[in-house]
Amino acid sequence: MRYVYWGLALFLALIIQSRLSLLGVSPNLTVLLAYFAGIRYGNTKGLFIGALIGAIEDSVSSSFLGPHMLSKGIVGYAASFMISGGFFRWTPVLGMILLSVLTLTDNAIGFISRTLFDKMPDALSTMFFISIMQSLLNAPAGIFLRPSDEE
Amino acid sequence: MPKRHTLVFFLFIIASFILMTFQSKWGYTFHDNIFYVILNYSNEVIHSTADAFKQPFRRMALRDEENQKLQDRINNLLLKNEQHKETILENKRLRNLLKLHDNSQGYVATAEIIARGLHSLKDTLIINKGANHGIKKNMVAITPKGLAGKIVAVTDSYADLLLMTDINFSASVRLQESRKEGIVSGTGTGKCVLKYVPFGEEVHTGDIVVTSGLDQFFPRGIPVGYIAKLERKEKRGHFQYIEVVPFQDDKKLEEVIIIQ
Repeated sequence: MRYVYWGLALFLALIIQSRLSLLGVSPNLTVLLAYFAGIRYGNTKGLFIGALIGAIEDSVSSSFLGPHMLSKGIVGYAASFMISGGFFRWTPVLGMILLSVLTLTDNAIGFISRTLFDKMPDALSTMFFISIMQSLLNAPAGIFLRPSDEE
Repeated sequence: MPKRHTLVFFLFIIASFILMTFQSKWGYTFHDNIFYVILNYSNEVIHSTADAFKQPFRRMALRDEENQKLQDRINNLLLKNEQHKETILENKRLRNLLKLHDNSQGYVATAEIIARGLHSLKDTLIINKGANHGIKKNMVAITPKGLAGKIVAVTDSYADLLLMTDINFSASVRLQESRKEGIVSGTGTGKCVLKYVPFGEEVHTGDIVVTSGLDQFFPRGIPVGYIAKLERKEKRGHFQYIEVVPFQDDKKLEEVIIIQ
């Protein structure tokens, strides 16, 4: 049943990402899923679930397989490493900050991967603007997405 | 344990790099996969459903816009129609004046009423012609309907027209049918009275009053008005009380011909 929920959540995230935009910027909701997987299931599972989410996102984004897979995998791993690994103790504010930073990281990794292995997907300033917007949009979710031991 | 996790992490990164390097070298064909098809099909369904909901509102908005445009157009046409009506009426009035001009002896000028007189207790109007156009004091103002008044003050470019209904206005008149004489005077209330008609004289309502020319101011035969009310009671004095309604309503006066 859990896989069905995850599948449904991913499906909804991808649908919403493809249909909504604010100032021309689509939200980056798959980061939320990778982040949630990391803080709930630990770093290895977070890494693999994030990578799987990223791989599916890559496969639907008319791009080559890898950039999203790598970035989401890292997000899943890093989320778990920061929260469950004992780096920080989770608080709502920390959740917001961490989610913003991880959204920025996700975009940066995706951008660098594409630039290295394919071609530069966009101007640096545009990427910067999109990343800031997406991290601001994602930040409030950091309050609600909490580790299981904080519920 | 942590070392194993770190190892897995680095292996994942290396694997990703290998995968991307491989694709950048040999190309990639992941577009036509099941996720891509499902997502796009879902998007299409959502889009068409949303469109089906939006369509009636969009149509309504378009109709509203079109209605607004048509309403504006109707308003413009109505305005133009009113302007045309006004032009037709002005044309008619000017034709009548022209006819009167041709028939009037002693024609001096045709003038337009430009304002009411500044004296609030006097029924006067200001006309746009004055001494420069040959107008002098005591000249007579007429319209196609009849007598309008007389000139009481003149400047170079303008003149004051005293209306028949003013209390200071008097003219020598006679009844058109019976040829009885009298003096018509204003009352200040929009009507005039015919004075100095004895009780013995037969006068009827509806009788037409015209100028007699005996006062040396008003040429004879100009229509003045008709008798609207009669009182033959002797307690009012030696003469009948006769109310005359002028043919020319001073509220509707727009152009006059000045004659001498």
